[in-house]
Amino acid sequence: MPADSLFTNETIDLEQLPRYEEIPLKQPHPHYWKIIRINLLIIFGILGVGVGTLLLFVDEVRPNALWIIPVYFALVVIFFLLYYLSFKKRGYAVRTHDVIYKSGIIAESTTIAPLNRIQHIELNEGIFSRIYKLGSLQLFTAGGQSGHIHISGIAIDEAKSIRDLLLKKLDLLENPTTEPEA
Amino acid sequence: MDNDFSKPQRESAFGIIVMGAHTFLQIFKATFFVFIAAFIKMPATTFTYLLLGIAVILLISFFFAYLWYLKFTFFLDKEKQEFVVNKGIFNRDQLIIQLDKIQQVNINQNILQKIIGVYGLKIDTAGAHGDEVSIKAIDETSAYNLKEHLLNRKATVETQVETEYENHLAEEAPFLRISAWTLLKVGLTSNYGQSLALLAAFFYTVIYEGRQLLDVFKIDKDAIQSTVTGMLTIVTVFILIACLLVVLLIINLVRTFYKYFELEISQHKNTLLLSSGLIAKKNTLISPNKVQISKYSQNYFQKKMNMLNMSLKQAHFGQSKKGHEMQGNTLEIPGCNPTERDELLKMILGSAPLKGKTFIPDWRFLNLPIFFKLVLPVAIFLIIAFKIPEVKPYIGIAIAYFIIGILMIYISYRKHRISVNQQFIIKKSGIWDISTEIVMPNKIQAITTFQYPWHKSIDVGHLSLHTAAGQIHFKYGNYTEIKQLVNCWLYQVESRNEDWM
Repeated sequence: MPADSLFTNETIDLEQLPRYEEIPLKQPHPHYWKIIRINLLIIFGILGVGVGTLLLFVDEVRPNALWIIPVYFALVVIFFLLYYLSFKKRGYAVRTHDVIYKSGIIAESTTIAPLNRIQHIELNEGIFSRIYKLGSLQLFTAGGQSGHIHISGIAIDEAKSIRDLLLKKLDLLENPTTEPEA
Repeated sequence: MDNDFSKPQRESAFGIIVMGAHTFLQIFKATFFVFIAAFIKMPATTFTYLLLGIAVILLISFFFAYLWYLKFTFFLDKEKQEFVVNKGIFNRDQLIIQLDKIQQVNINQNILQKIIGVYGLKIDTAGAHGDEVSIKAIDETSAYNLKEHLLNRKATVETQVETEYENHLAEEAPFLRISAWTLLKVGLTSNYGQSLALLAAFFYTVIYEGRQLLDVFKIDKDAIQSTVTGMLTIVTVFILIACLLVVLLIINLVRTFYKYFELEISQHKNTLLLSSGLIAKKNTLISPNKVQISKYSQNYFQKKMNMLNMSLKQAHFGQSKKGHEMQGNTLEIPGCNPTERDELLKMILGSAPLKGKTFIPDWRFLNLPIFFKLVLPVAIFLIIAFKIPEVKPYIGIAIAYFIIGILMIYISYRKHRISVNQQFIIKKSGIWDISTEIVMPNKIQAITTFQYPWHKSIDVGHLSLHTAAGQIHFKYGNYTEIKQLVNCWLYQVESRNEDWM
């Protein structure tokens, strides 16, 4: 191994290292909020139809309408608020050597995956995402379910360019390591 | 003996017997209670039909085993560095494993294989699907040869050296050997949890199947229930608990002996060879750089006896693997003494791990567990107790629970430590079993940090390191220090481009 002979071990100035916590993060595309709203509306629409039919046709349920309907609307409001907050809190950044993703409504959690640990990349487009030209990017590491990064609501062109960039990096990372071995 | 494996070859013909018996046992196990039920319910005249049925199942299993044997071939593609397996009775499946993705190769022998004199060989891969290859019957020399070929992918041509080496294998003195006496101590002091789970599972199946049998026999369930509840006085309950504890200890001992009897570790070029087992001898060969987390744990008794349990965790992938296979990726070495531990750690990590700067959690570590595990349940209990007079005499128990709980949470807080230097991350935790996990920064796959908004002003946050063998958490640390550590680790991972496997 040539790296060994050149090996030096200087003290690293910890203050000089780039700081992940100070990187400006990009927010998901504003259209993504529309998609979240559409999804929520569909879910609550189906739920509402179900509850409505129960209230209309089942006599035993009808006396409970007094609390079922307010609870239903309260849930709608709560969910919209929560999703809006979570939408506002998300952020991502791609650095030369890693990807950063921040999320969380109450606890703000930041996950960082170094590029040389990424196993594969997935780009998903849902039906509604396609209408608004958005996509979601998933980065898988070997760190199991919790070590994955899932960034939703990126403009599809940007997502594709990030994917290509990452793929190029992955190729670059793989090749120099295999060549000296051979 | 064919040393090459470059041409497609079948497993040993004895594989038919092993495979057939395996299938038969599987079917028999699944239908065991059906058979018993049928046996009891059926009139004696149809007994011959029953035997005939068993014979038919036997015949079918062996027929399928024969087909399996015909279709199962494997070979080593040296150019592409791949191990190829063709299998499938009705559909053709081809399994291709890249040699550098192989995690470990196990050579096992169960009772039947021991009688026939063949070995089973299993390949654990790091594949995303957790697909693994298992060759049911292979003779000893081929098994060890194949293992060598699979694991030493760089030294593929030197077959001569390897056969020579092969002979060495038996002679080489193991540097670690666990004696029966140590195993006895291990069995008495550790792994209660697993044995308890085993016992619970056993009782569950007994009760479940017993009920079905009762249905068959048409025995009056109420009569049994009333006798059982009649027997339950306080004295019998205590006797029962004592019996259960003894049974638990015995199960623990038997399990420890069964699994770890004559455990030996020897170094073997760059790999470690572990062998153990009472009835079925299990050999495992692993390369140290595939170990992701090295862990050792010790409880109070074990500390007094100067021994500890080690486990080496390798990468596990995907959820498709079943639980026990996941466990198969953790190699356990019970009952080492500290010198043996240091030796083993040196072998795996390259150098003995030194403690660096130690970080301790904030006292707020105590808040949540004390509130949710102690204050809340005790408060609820007290409210109930003042409403219902029957519960009142048990208030003493609640107080004891509270005090013990506080003590345990405080111990867990005192033991929750992470210590970091240039090469190692050492995480300590535990209440009774104090475990120490050692990771090298280059095994980190991803890092997550998080913080609750109400901790922002006091600068407290949490850290989890994701590795291929699980996560390592450090809670309630100084968030500025954590961020600095993260930046340092990211620098180490990203600048060096080291292999993690």
